[in-house]
Amino acid sequence: MDCKKILIVDDEKGFTSMLKLNLEAIGDFEVKVVNEANNALMTAKQFLPDIILLDIIMPNKEGPDVAIEIRNEPSLKNIPIVFLTATITRDEVASQNGWIGGNIFVAKPSSLKELLASIESSIGVR
Amino acid sequence: MNKNIKKDFSRPLDVIIVEDNQVDARILESMLMDPPAIAKTLKIANTLSSAIKILEENEIEIAILDLNLPDSKGVETIVEISNRFPKLTIVINTGAYEDELGLEALSLGAQDFLLKGKYNSYVLNKILRYCLERKRSEIELKQAYETLKETQSQLIQSEKMKVVGGLASGVAHEVKNPLATILYGVTYLIDQVKLDDDNYNLVLKNIREATDRANVIITGLLDFSTLNKFNKVEYDIVDVVEKSLLLVNYQIDKNIINVVKDYENNLAPLLIDVIRIEQVLVNILLNAIVSMDKSGRVLIKIYSSVISKNKKELPASDKDNFIAGQKVVIVEIDDVGNGIPDDEINNIFDPFYTSRRGIGGVGLGLSVSKNILENHGASIVIKNKVDAGVIAKLIFKT
Repeated sequence: MDCKKILIVDDEKGFTSMLKLNLEAIGDFEVKVVNEANNALMTAKQFLPDIILLDIIMPNKEGPDVAIEIRNEPSLKNIPIVFLTATITRDEVASQNGWIGGNIFVAKPSSLKELLASIESSIGVR
Repeated sequence: MNKNIKKDFSRPLDVIIVEDNQVDARILESMLMDPPAIAKTLKIANTLSSAIKILEENEIEIAILDLNLPDSKGVETIVEISNRFPKLTIVINTGAYEDELGLEALSLGAQDFLLKGKYNSYVLNKILRYCLERKRSEIELKQAYETLKETQSQLIQSEKMKVVGGLASGVAHEVKNPLATILYGVTYLIDQVKLDDDNYNLVLKNIREATDRANVIITGLLDFSTLNKFNKVEYDIVDVVEKSLLLVNYQIDKNIINVVKDYENNLAPLLIDVIRIEQVLVNILLNAIVSMDKSGRVLIKIYSSVISKNKKELPASDKDNFIAGQKVVIVEIDDVGNGIPDDEINNIFDPFYTSRRGIGGVGLGLSVSKNILENHGASIVIKNKVDAGVIAKLIFKT
């Protein structure tokens, strides 16, 4: 099975390093972290991830704006994006079956198991 | 208005004379009963205790009261009568009027003075009517004051909610990020770093549990800031109650609670956000469950009803949101638990009010529930029952 590439875009450094540690320890993923949203597009173009985990509220550029940039970039437009955010609760996510406005959402904090389930359903394999 | 006053002046009254002097009583009686009679009911008592008995057993609107009776002297007589019968109009009939005594009597609940031998039936009639009108205004004023007081406290409550709500959304977001970091850090240590040390694993387990608990609290806070996002659909309330019961099934089994259901058939569907109303029901069910020792009983009734003319089933703050005769569906959750302490019953909807501080209570359940119901145009009433336990009523418009 191919190693899947995950790009995490989130300004919370502690969070992204913990998440990277966990995902890589599970063994199936190559993980890259971007803590500055302005660098997200460039990094994504170079890294060509299988999935992008995207925070919503970030200081210099908000998640939905990053998502629009990615959707407008031909080489990236089909990459699934999972919004990873503390602005909504797990109940709200559950009430919409994880989908809000055509995007997958995972509430922070959610267990690693819940996050993995969303990643799997987005890229189809693990 | 003028017509009413005219009518009121000729309406026969229900009167009691409290007088131990038989001559004085007789004079009053003839003034009241000789045609054209002022009174239609006339009772006469010669002691305070017999007066109380008569007032308890009869519909009397006005008392003509001598202050010095064999079993009660002076203003004590007024105090006793007006405390026991706050709606009764009291007119003092005295042989020795003094200004000081007069003012004191008025402050204690009497409406006016009659000076023995100084009035005739025309003056008596006029004074009694004026006194009744003054008493009626006084009662109305008192009621208006009570309503005002209650409305004011509701206003303060809703302002508090707004402040907490605004604060909550900011704080919640900032706290959830570090919580997520701690959660994934601990997850990594638990899953990937295996150490053969019991204390190590215990420490990690404790951190994990504390993180989960903090998350529950912060999620409760966030509920304030997301209260405007509702997804309402037409839904059968019985199904929502049943789903909520499933969610608290564990606690019901653990505490061996007997759940008794009494549901009316074919109720009208309600326009509700199912998840939110479930949240409200779960809050109230959990409050009921933890208030009872093991082997308690929860009675859940769901039935249709109609808002009464004086809307007495609604709290003052919600009276304007319902019209008399409005069709409603009521969900009643009735427990046999410890009840709510009397000095706390007015605070139960305050953010951060909890009777379970330190043992799992955050104090956001009922305040969030009230907000959710307000958003649905519904009302909630929570009262201690006379015997034991609490009854919570959710009133939904259909």
